[in-house]
Amino acid sequence: MSIHLPDMVWAIINFLILVAILNKFLYKPVTKMLDERKKEVVSNLDRAEAAKLEAEKLKDEYASHLQNARKEAQEIIAKANKLGEETKNEIVAQAKSEAEKISAKAQEEIKLEKNKALAELRDEVASLAIMAAEKIISKNIDNKDQEKMVKDFVKEVGEIQ
Amino acid sequence: MFWLKAAYAAEAGGAGEHGPQILFNIFGLDVTSETTTMWGIMLLLAILSYLATRNMKRIPSGLQNIMEFAVEGIIKLLSGIMGEERAKKYLPLLGSLFIFILISNYSGILPGAGHTPGLKAPTSNWSVTLGLATVVFLATQYYGVKERGLKYFKHFVEPLPFMLPLNIIEQFVRPLSLSLRLYGNVFGEEMVVAGLFALVPLIVPLPMMLLGLLFGFIQAFVFTLLAAIYISEATEHHH
Repeated sequence: MSIHLPDMVWAIINFLILVAILNKFLYKPVTKMLDERKKEVVSNLDRAEAAKLEAEKLKDEYASHLQNARKEAQEIIAKANKLGEETKNEIVAQAKSEAEKISAKAQEEIKLEKNKALAELRDEVASLAIMAAEKIISKNIDNKDQEKMVKDFVKEVGEIQ
Repeated sequence: MFWLKAAYAAEAGGAGEHGPQILFNIFGLDVTSETTTMWGIMLLLAILSYLATRNMKRIPSGLQNIMEFAVEGIIKLLSGIMGEERAKKYLPLLGSLFIFILISNYSGILPGAGHTPGLKAPTSNWSVTLGLATVVFLATQYYGVKERGLKYFKHFVEPLPFMLPLNIIEQFVRPLSLSLRLYGNVFGEEMVVAGLFALVPLIVPLPMMLLGLLFGFIQAFVFTLLAAIYISEATEHHH
């Protein structure tokens, strides 16, 4: 077991060269990659955290918006219902008054018709009475007298009525 | 009697090389099998690292995943000793220490290690582990001064001035112990396996080799751990 100087020298030289090689091709790239990856993970975690907070804030906002919208919708529906009711009542009232008008008008017409019919009837009756009287009296009454007799009769009857 | 036989067998199995197995020569420096194996390990680690970190994906898979896992594990280990900030600062030195020692310890289990010229676990050689320990020694002193300025040398005379020689010796002994611990473990394990192979090549060496996996990891871990503690101590700012 003795010291062989060349071996020792070679060992030192070779080892230092090896350190240089590994430094360039192994340690530098690997440590760089490890640091980068760590940074990326940290930044991803931060971003995820921030995104989560943002999402929760938005969620709250949307929830309150939704609530407001629902409330508004309900108000609109209530208003529409009320309007509907009012319109319905209006229409019904209008229809009623129309109906009343029509019925009143109809009654008027009926009254008129009735009077007209009564008047015609009186004329007929008077004519018939005269014809009957003619037969009994056996006298020829000409048309003009006949007309006068009818008118007088009608007037009498009308007055009595 | 059995143990004597085992020792002879280990010697015969080529485990007791009395001189360095020199392969060739560069710039006047001998190159041994340990050094070539070291180059092989460097090449392997360079290729693996390159493949793992080109086109890095946000969500990793496969090799990138394994490498990330390894680096993260080392950082966690070091953070426990010196805090996350310093762990990242000294990661290149200490991380490479761990990875290299681990692979180097395991290279001794490869078939042919020790017998084939060109393949021999670097850490089974005391010169190599001494080299690593020297790096740690120089690093502690350098970083100590870098972090604390010249005040760093004050700690040699704490708590009492007469401790100065003891403290200085301690600074040298610590890395030395590192080197011996590592060398002893790896070399010893190799010896036992070689001996077992020489006796009963089939199956019997296997438990020892599996133990070698465990101890290889432990020794790499311990070496790195202690180096981290030394550096952490040296660079600590006493508030």
